[in-house]
Amino acid sequence: METEGSSVELVDGDVVRQFARAAVLAALLGAVAPVAIPLPLSPAPLTLQVLFVFLAGLVLGPVWGSVSMLLYLTAGAIGIPVFAGWEAGLGTLFGPTGGYLWSYPVAAALIGAVVHRGTDLRDPAAVPLPIVVVALVMGTIVIYGMGTGYAAWLLELEAWEAIAGFALPFIPGELLKMAAAIAIVQSGRIEPIQS
Amino acid sequence: MLTYDPDDTLAHRLDPRSKLGVQIGFAATALAHTGSRALLILSVIAALILLAARVSVLRALYAYRFALVFLGLAPLLAGLTLGSPWFDLGDAETSARASYRVLLILLVSAAYVRSTPIRASRAAIQRTIPGKPGQLLGVGVSLIFRFLPVLQADIRTIRDAMAARLGDERGVVDRASTIGLLGLTRAFDRADRLALAMQARCFAWNPTLPHLSFSRLDYPVLALAVVLVLSALL
Repeated sequence: METEGSSVELVDGDVVRQFARAAVLAALLGAVAPVAIPLPLSPAPLTLQVLFVFLAGLVLGPVWGSVSMLLYLTAGAIGIPVFAGWEAGLGTLFGPTGGYLWSYPVAAALIGAVVHRGTDLRDPAAVPLPIVVVALVMGTIVIYGMGTGYAAWLLELEAWEAIAGFALPFIPGELLKMAAAIAIVQSGRIEPIQS
Repeated sequence: MLTYDPDDTLAHRLDPRSKLGVQIGFAATALAHTGSRALLILSVIAALILLAARVSVLRALYAYRFALVFLGLAPLLAGLTLGSPWFDLGDAETSARASYRVLLILLVSAAYVRSTPIRASRAAIQRTIPGKPGQLLGVGVSLIFRFLPVLQADIRTIRDAMAARLGDERGVVDRASTIGLLGLTRAFDRADRLALAMQARCFAWNPTLPHLSFSRLDYPVLALAVVLVLSALL
């Protein structure tokens, strides 16, 4: 039997706690993929995935928020059914909604950087509301910009065609998700790990 | 739903690293070409890959039905024009070709998903990506695999409890924030307990991994991956 002799290099306590939260949040993003709340007067139902992308940036901060999103993308790429509609596989990352998926780590990092002003975490409930709103709007613009931009390039559509098919039906839902994310953060029931 | 299916096909016997290489190569070259000849060659390669993993095309198409909606929508959107001639066939055809290659990429990835267990993919990630990022990515992916069903059950419990209290008749924001807040607090409770348990078990940067090795079968497959990547530059 093969044996290997080497010393064990333990992972720091802070890193373990942040990492565990990042991994579990990524799994949660997969678990809520099938939850859809119908919206009155809108063809597209409200799905909760982007809400958790917002929360990744708000609660885990720029570094661990984007690590969490990268874990989510990797898990989906190797075949764990975490993408919307129980999809999995590397193909989905290159598929028509691939641009949205690739934007998640960027959006989480951006929201985290704006809200926490750097890599040291602050309590998001104590951050002034306008800053949170600006961060979420910027994150949404990144998600839809990358999502529709990639779809337009991939499927050879013109800009307005991509916006009509891939962004407009979802905008009302986005505003509601921002409101939900703000309500969750302001409730003060979720504390970030401050080192 | 597509998942790993234990079997003894050619694809099941290959190393996950060579299969990942082929997928990336295929995607790269499919994204670079939409000519008729290229699409024909790509279709043949995709068909061979599906055959090698014994994937049922119908099941794979059904698994990707949401993506198919977008792929079907694209040519219609591209063709529609304001004013005469209302529907531009040329634009629609360009977009349909582009959609078709995406469909091929999806089918090829279905072959990987069917033929590769998660633990093998995890080992491949941890061995290919060096240092701490590789370790975190590998461990993180297996934690997601472990926690996905648990968190799905949590979300189901929350939704059932909400429905029992007529919570599903409330406003949309209220429902979304309730599911979000309860889902997140439960998940983070689990994460904090998990972190404690991992520390108690000496969670380290250098754990022992399952054994992976290239067999003679893997070398031609790796060569195919390289050829596919290079053909993207043609």
